[in-house]
Amino acid sequence: MAPLTPYTYIQCPCSDESSPDADDDDRTFDPRAARSNYSLYGLEYLLYCEDCHQIRCPRCVAEEIVTYYCPSCLFEVPSSNIKSEGNRCTRSCFQCPICIGPLAVNSLEAQPDQTHLAAPDTPSASHGGPYILTCSYCNWSSTETGIKFDKPNSIYSQLAKLYNGGEHRLTPKEHKERRKEALQASAVSGDPLPDQTLDVETHFAALKAFYQSQLADANASTTGLSSLEGLGFASPASLSRIMSIYTGGSLHDKRAKSRIGTMREALTSDEGLQLASLDESSSISALRLHHASTIPPTTYQHQTPHLGALPPHTGGARFPSHLRPIPCLLRTKRSKRCPLCRHIISKPEAKVSTTRFRIRLVAGSYVPSISILPLNIPQPSPDGALAPLVPAQFLLKFLNPIFEPVRVTLATPSKTPGRFGAKVTVLCPEFEIDANTDVWEDALKDGVAGKDVAAGARVRRGTVGEDGQQQPEVGKIWERGRNWVSIVVEVVPASLRLDLLAATGKFAGGEGVDAGPLREDEDVLEIPMFVRVEWDADTGGDDVGSGVGKDQKEAKEKRELAYWCVLGLGRVRQ
Amino acid sequence: MSRRPPRGEYIETDTGNKVARKATLVGTQNIMLGGKTVIQPEVMIRGDLNTAVSIGRYCFLSRGCCLRPPGRMYKGAFTYMPLRMVDHVFVGPGSIVQAASIGSHVHIGARVAIGEFAIIKDYVRILDGTVVPPNMVIPSFSIVAGQPARIIGEVPEGGHDAFELRDLYKTVGNNPQPAV
Repeated sequence: MAPLTPYTYIQCPCSDESSPDADDDDRTFDPRAARSNYSLYGLEYLLYCEDCHQIRCPRCVAEEIVTYYCPSCLFEVPSSNIKSEGNRCTRSCFQCPICIGPLAVNSLEAQPDQTHLAAPDTPSASHGGPYILTCSYCNWSSTETGIKFDKPNSIYSQLAKLYNGGEHRLTPKEHKERRKEALQASAVSGDPLPDQTLDVETHFAALKAFYQSQLADANASTTGLSSLEGLGFASPASLSRIMSIYTGGSLHDKRAKSRIGTMREALTSDEGLQLASLDESSSISALRLHHASTIPPTTYQHQTPHLGALPPHTGGARFPSHLRPIPCLLRTKRSKRCPLCRHIISKPEAKVSTTRFRIRLVAGSYVPSISILPLNIPQPSPDGALAPLVPAQFLLKFLNPIFEPVRVTLATPSKTPGRFGAKVTVLCPEFEIDANTDVWEDALKDGVAGKDVAAGARVRRGTVGEDGQQQPEVGKIWERGRNWVSIVVEVVPASLRLDLLAATGKFAGGEGVDAGPLREDEDVLEIPMFVRVEWDADTGGDDVGSGVGKDQKEAKEKRELAYWCVLGLGRVRQ
Repeated sequence: MSRRPPRGEYIETDTGNKVARKATLVGTQNIMLGGKTVIQPEVMIRGDLNTAVSIGRYCFLSRGCCLRPPGRMYKGAFTYMPLRMVDHVFVGPGSIVQAASIGSHVHIGARVAIGEFAIIKDYVRILDGTVVPPNMVIPSFSIVAGQPARIIGEVPEGGHDAFELRDLYKTVGNNPQPAV
């Protein structure tokens, strides 16, 4: 089993569903509860709202998109283009349909010359097309599906006009015109229009156009709501229509009832009706043929042709010849707001090329970080697992990031929750950490007498044993530095033997002892710990405008932050 | 002869570079170190390919990694192009880097292969064993893994400090300081 590196996860208060009337004091946090997975985060994932003085996690913040950009060409896409052209890059950025590696534009003409490799966006004057897309990871190329391009740039729009095999594909506009001509021709000859087969994009476009026209018609036929037409599917009119359908017309809206009759489904391929071809024998035989050429006949006979479960981006492709290059999905830069006070707590610069943030309130600069070090672990096995029923000691190092001294109070349940409860003793549950100092000060000290300062800063508290080793002492911190304190936690892991569990359960007279087999990660020793941090903060700054006196301005305000966290110490040997 | 101070494992330059004596640097006239860069033993940097390899400040090249400028056909001849690496780049042990450019604050794990002309922007974490295909562009704040590499996540706002290599720089050299 893989050794486990110790970790600390913090529970975001947003998931705390405690009811005010329940006696809260006895309630402890269970890291193994099914919901806990969704509320525990590493410190680096957490943000901090300065106005609410509370931790905020990725689940509870409200996100706003600042910029859309293509991750491949790093081109910033205006949000208006997202609405009209969709969420994929419309330049020349494509992914391989087989291995999702990036595709490069290459010239077919001068085969060994690969001038475009580095910059697929820049056309080369040295030689002409035709151009193809190639994957430099798996060697797939668009020639395998018969696609070649005339120009090395704006591949997206060129690809939109091509079917696999190089056949010219009609744009929706051309499609309409072609259809109109056919309609006129059929009107002359009297023959009904033949149904065509549609590809995915045309199919969707036709259906969308049809439904939009249907909605617009339905809205136009009513008098009061006609101003809402053209709002599409999310309009209140369409909502009321759906409501009236599902409530069986029991609502008072008579007009909505009459409107049901006006909606109909698509009837022709023009409107997006695509009859499913249920005869798949040709596909199956093609698949057999395809397999027969690569796999010995004895194996393929036992395999049923795998026709379902296609990746969505292939658009229902079943054969390598149906594959099309995948345009790159756009990415976003997002700002984050506090869910309660709506203040922005993280805001990146809008430009794609910069990595700076205008606002970045991360929890790491407000909440002490906790790192775990093994101190005294008897009989460690080669993979670092802890021996059951033997006390092991760990050092918890608390680092204070704020510029005020903080008082920390810790609390843990004496026995960890779960079937295999380990005994936990925090030797020093209350201590004070000195304030953080300026980075500059630190750097200067390092430069002058780095070693002396480093040595002087470490003050050990605790008695030295006979063997010269420091002995952990109850009620005293282990070591203290400039802005950090380390304390000792003693753990007695429980035995993971199921027969013991059943026996102790019977002895205790408990009926419902779960003696089932060991579940996944049940051997990981996790300690829930309640951390309460108190400090005196300056009240000045925000309240200057409220007309407080000078002496009040210098008054300190007591601040408190309390949260649950989980310390993962290691696996227990079985 | 023995009057000189004992030779350490590293050569420390005036600008603070720490280069292991057992590292293989070929074509040193093409290799530019920005200062405070650590090059561990068994690292190879190919400066002999007629193009520059430039490395910024506080970069850390772990044991057994290799930096090699990317090459391609250009105007009828096979040409090598410069490899540029900005500040605070960590290259894990056994990794091979043939990127065109690597931004600042990039962490490349162990046994990673970075294909020719890949462009890696700032604050990118590449997990162990990743194979980055040639020509791939990795935008800022990406976590990348897989063969071929794909973007599997985003670097959180609070994770930026983890890319700093100033402390790591102090822990190696001829008189290393213990990690804080």
